[in-house]
Amino acid sequence: MRLSDSPYVDVFAYGMFIAAILLLPLVMDDPFWLNRIAKYLVFGMLGVAIALSWGYAGILNLGQGLFFGIGAYMVAMSLKLQSYTSLQQGSDKPVPDFMLWNAEPGAPTDLCCIVPGSWIWQPFQAQWFGMVMSVVVPVVISYILATAIFRLRVSGVYVAIITLALVLLARLLLIDAQPLTNGFNGLTDLGWLTVAGIEFDPYLTATYYIIAVSLSVVLVLARLLISTRAGLILQSTRDDPKRSRFLGFDVATYQVFFFTVSAAIAGFAGMLYVIAAEFASPSFMDLTFSISMVVWAAVGGRSSLLGACIGAILINTIEASASETELLQESWRAVIGLIFVLVVLYLPRGLAGIGQETVDWIGRKAGISGRSRSGRVTNPSAAE
Amino acid sequence: MANPALIIDGLSVDFGGFKAVDGFSTVIDDGELRVVLGPNGAGKTTMMDLITGNTRSTGGTVTMYGKDITNHAEHEIARAGLGRKFQIPSVFRDLTVFENFEVAVTKQQGVFGNLRFGLRASEKEKLDQIIELTQTSDVIDKRAGDLSHGQMQWLELGMLIAQDSRVILLDEPTAGMTQGETYRTSQIIKALKGQHTIIVVEHDMAFVREIAEKITVMHLGKMLAEGRMDVIENDPKVQDAYLGSGGIH
Repeated sequence: MRLSDSPYVDVFAYGMFIAAILLLPLVMDDPFWLNRIAKYLVFGMLGVAIALSWGYAGILNLGQGLFFGIGAYMVAMSLKLQSYTSLQQGSDKPVPDFMLWNAEPGAPTDLCCIVPGSWIWQPFQAQWFGMVMSVVVPVVISYILATAIFRLRVSGVYVAIITLALVLLARLLLIDAQPLTNGFNGLTDLGWLTVAGIEFDPYLTATYYIIAVSLSVVLVLARLLISTRAGLILQSTRDDPKRSRFLGFDVATYQVFFFTVSAAIAGFAGMLYVIAAEFASPSFMDLTFSISMVVWAAVGGRSSLLGACIGAILINTIEASASETELLQESWRAVIGLIFVLVVLYLPRGLAGIGQETVDWIGRKAGISGRSRSGRVTNPSAAE
Repeated sequence: MANPALIIDGLSVDFGGFKAVDGFSTVIDDGELRVVLGPNGAGKTTMMDLITGNTRSTGGTVTMYGKDITNHAEHEIARAGLGRKFQIPSVFRDLTVFENFEVAVTKQQGVFGNLRFGLRASEKEKLDQIIELTQTSDVIDKRAGDLSHGQMQWLELGMLIAQDSRVILLDEPTAGMTQGETYRTSQIIKALKGQHTIIVVEHDMAFVREIAEKITVMHLGKMLAEGRMDVIENDPKVQDAYLGSGGIH
């Protein structure tokens, strides 16, 4: 019995991580860096989403940026309408500035009809609508998509190809709809998140806490989810879907459910990112971004939610430091690439694997063994 | 024959002109242990694929306890009470032995009903019995992929017991086993007799003699002979079918 299998080790590791991110503002008082870390915590949340679908469901989604992007745009639409400039366009109702630049001469300065289709922006005048849609739209789209894919028993690399193609398609449509989305420029000059009259300036410690607490909650809920019986059955479908079917489980139902949960987390992350970064852009749906997420999860350890989360935060921190170090300014991408190659070659379980082995080593040295899921102590009686 | 467990009637499958199973019919009684024999290519495994929904049949029907299950989805047939052991052991390799059993013992099928923690008392009691029967308590926290071949076969058998299927199909349960392991397997199967209806495809004649009651011989996708061991052994048709391989050993 290895010590790292013990649930208490997990409780300890998650507890330490959550304590660390919650206490960070006490030691870091530079608002610029705090805001930066907040963004990396959002990426950590994406790591959790990737680990859930890739590590636990065995579904490699190379288009997670689709759900992140949708989540980001939904809330950005609301915040755009809340911004000062949107209220200064010669109408008593908010109108995004770029719509005026794209409108035909003489079009009424009103969301209803300034550009074709602009009525779709109307409900986003309520901030809560954009926030709710950040999660609801990814859930609906991922549910439909996953149902189509998994009912047809598409698996493996084909899922990766489909999701990859879809995120690129969505990016194209987004850029193409210039009058509605501001195309390539994305949504910038956004207002701040306002809750009960309090404005959350992205550089406030309070804004950092919104994100840190959200990540903690997502991390704990996702961890609980995979330790339910449903989570175990999901892992069984990853190992041998045929065996799961012959035990009576409709494999597609499990895949759809967890794919959708993963998309919901990505959409939520997109929303938080906009709150911290004050923009939404088609670059969220770039192929490189979706693939980066997979790299973060691989480095951190895809079969560990916490590992993937820490992997994302760590790589982004290294990336930022390396790209700002004069010596590495030209080569920092190679540094990241090298880390990835080394991890793939020597650490198939990522950083989480190192963590587990260290814990097991301590366990052996100290003669502690955990209590396993089976609740059995192996094995006093059967030593025949 | 008040309540047959399984009625197979005229079951056929056509793989683009090649009839792997061709109008196969048999009736298996509740609680029976039936051995299916046949030379290579007789259609034994294909017949199991057709019954379990792994392959779609092109003709005939399969009825289990009065319910038509012909060409239903695999998980529906499994839920109707049919379990299957594959020729190559099929277990969840990255889960521990205990977790494998835990998945198998789950009665609830859907996602939402399974958003719960821990084991129910009834599940725990059942798993304790199965761990006892399959003698897996030494390896209970091991990754299933790290087990020996024999242990993996017993794990899969144990999962079928945990699943509590009324009808169990076993495809060469002793393939690749040592004599000692084969003997243990026959003991496990004997222990299941009576509580479950069991259909076994097997080549190992020593093993067949150990467990068999009634035997069905398949040849070229059809039923060739059916009866007790001594009747089958002396059947000239059966001897003919096996002639190439020198008869039944």
